[in-house]
Amino acid sequence: MTRWFEEIELSTIYDLGSHTFTEAEIIRFATLYDPQYFHTDPDAARHSHFGGLVASGWHTVSVGHRLMVDRLTAEEDIVRTEGSEPGVAGPSPGVNRMNFSAPVRPGDTVRFTLSVTNKRKSNSIPGWGLLFNLIEAHNQHGNLVYSADLVSFSKLRDFRPTLRLRAAMALSRFPVFNKLMVRK
Amino acid sequence: MTNPTTKSRRHFEDLQIGETVALGPITISKADILAFATEFDPLPFHLDEKAARESLLGGLAASGWQTGALSLRMLADRFLSTIASMGSLGFTDLKWKRPLMKDDTLSGTASITALRRSSTHPDMGIVTIAFDMRNQNDQQVMTLNLANLVEIRDPSIGGSR
Repeated sequence: MTRWFEEIELSTIYDLGSHTFTEAEIIRFATLYDPQYFHTDPDAARHSHFGGLVASGWHTVSVGHRLMVDRLTAEEDIVRTEGSEPGVAGPSPGVNRMNFSAPVRPGDTVRFTLSVTNKRKSNSIPGWGLLFNLIEAHNQHGNLVYSADLVSFSKLRDFRPTLRLRAAMALSRFPVFNKLMVRK
Repeated sequence: MTNPTTKSRRHFEDLQIGETVALGPITISKADILAFATEFDPLPFHLDEKAARESLLGGLAASGWQTGALSLRMLADRFLSTIASMGSLGFTDLKWKRPLMKDDTLSGTASITALRRSSTHPDMGIVTIAFDMRNQNDQQVMTLNLANLVEIRDPSIGGSR
């Protein structure tokens, strides 16, 4: 989260908040990004195995991501108010696994949580660590609707680059990114 | 029981491993990036060009979730809306290999890599679809393996696959 890599504790469960999905927003998202009839057409959806309209899984994921970003931003503000410099979260290289365990229906309220299950220093990017995050989402009945293993970069607080590395990084300012993101 | 939306579409029995559909192309504008990021990923490097230049991304880039959403839209248009899709179970191995930058063009392929019948639902099959999404320079932007449910037309006919 907004702690420094070194301070992040494994298995603490962070509550990211909840979101209630309306029929209108389910249809709007799906019309843009996942126009399958059980996401966009309530009448046709009744004949599907879902028995009614359900949210695109990608919609649930995107809402959960927004809640995570909001939580990060709020925590950063708190840390700054306390006079400290917050940790730096970087981009994500990917998601190892994502399961849509149960449908999200109009009116459902979904609560998202995040925990860090493992962490290690990056082999490919000096000064950064990798966090292995577990994101889970439950509906108002307590049923798991979605879970994901998301990997993300987190900046090291205690990193002291060698003179040689500093020179190399200065010489390759832009390629640093490519080296960072391109995974064979 | 018959589903009027899907009854004339291709079913699980009609799909073949190795089938490939072309996805895209679509060019992403700064406005597209800002619209998605404002709603779902409001981080400075997706919203502000100066912050983006100073970040690991090196310039204004789409949210990885937007790259995924655009790819999913392409798959829905070209493939999922032509088969008796029952929705996604999830996916594995999503890799954001390179960011999708402002004014980049995204296209790619989706290929069927596996087909198997559900062990718990005799009327459902599972198709695995591998995405290979690239930019205008043929550099990989994103890959993932999607598991999608498909109706079986005649569950009484056994099949081992």
